[in-house]
Amino acid sequence: MRAEVLALVVIVGAATWAFRYLPFRLNLSALSAGGWPGRMLAATGPAAIAALFAVSVLPLLAGGVQAPFWAGTAAVIGLWFWCRSVVLATLGGALVYGVVFAI
Amino acid sequence: MQGWTRGRLTFSCIRVSLGGMMRQGESGFAAGLMAALPIVLGYFPIAFSFGVAGTRAGLGFAEVMAFSVIMYSGAAQFLAVALVSGGAPLLVSVFTLVAMGLRHLAYGPALMAAAGTRQQTRRAWVWAFGLTDEVFGTALGALSRGRRFSEPFMFGLGLAAYVAWVSGTAAGAAAGGGALAAYPAVEAALGFMLPALFLALLLSILSRAQLPVIAVAAVVTVGVTLLHSATSGILSGMVAGALAGLSRGRA
Repeated sequence: MRAEVLALVVIVGAATWAFRYLPFRLNLSALSAGGWPGRMLAATGPAAIAALFAVSVLPLLAGGVQAPFWAGTAAVIGLWFWCRSVVLATLGGALVYGVVFAI
Repeated sequence: MQGWTRGRLTFSCIRVSLGGMMRQGESGFAAGLMAALPIVLGYFPIAFSFGVAGTRAGLGFAEVMAFSVIMYSGAAQFLAVALVSGGAPLLVSVFTLVAMGLRHLAYGPALMAAAGTRQQTRRAWVWAFGLTDEVFGTALGALSRGRRFSEPFMFGLGLAAYVAWVSGTAAGAAAGGGALAAYPAVEAALGFMLPALFLALLLSILSRAQLPVIAVAAVVTVGVTLLHSATSGILSGMVAGALAGLSRGRA
């Protein structure tokens, strides 16, 4: 294993762990008892997932053919509202994406 | 609670998520493992594609595995492979990836806000290692549907996801860079797995009160990403969405 790859993995891994753990250690939850910090923090989760979703779909929309994306997205939404199952929606959406892509 | 009620009414659908078969109050280690099933099924193929992408980029098996075992941050791993194979200097790569990981700072407080009163987090130094985007989203969704927060639940949730990610990476790295070359549709479907998972997680925590937050976060993320970079877009979208949460009234 190359030393620079190992260094990258260890440094970024340690930073990632710290980012995930430190908010609990520093007990930032005390800020969330009520008022504006609570409302802002409660909105952070949905905002984060929305941001990650937006970033993950941009490369798919940047390509020429978008039919697989829209079909897959519709499948995820439809399966979610039908079954309320994250796994079925995810796998079904990916399956539809692959099928439309193949067609 | 509204989502839980709606979920009970969808009896016509085969429920794969074992979490739905248990009472909402069960929050032990086993419940965490079962709640992780959607993540496990989603992670394995995504990690497989990471293993394939890593070996395709010229990384050795041990190097690819080190990313998943130590770094354990899916989106950052894909970006790291691109940086390493592109010959980016170590410091530039570190700075970029650490900045990308900053979003995790928001997960703990958001989780504790959803959990309600003060919760026991003595062993967070262990289970927080596994607090990935999807684990966070699943935990948040479970809490919003009425499940109690507990450390054993979080540990079970994180462990199952971690094992799936590491084993998927190993399978992909062992298969090699050309594993999916003959199956472009499968490769395309695997590429859609991550956005599909994010979308499903988003739907699982969707509520009328959060719609403005989600809309603002998505619009700002897209705008800043197009103008600058994906990392800036994620951070800006998160901050904008959180600030949008301030403008809405108490739930």
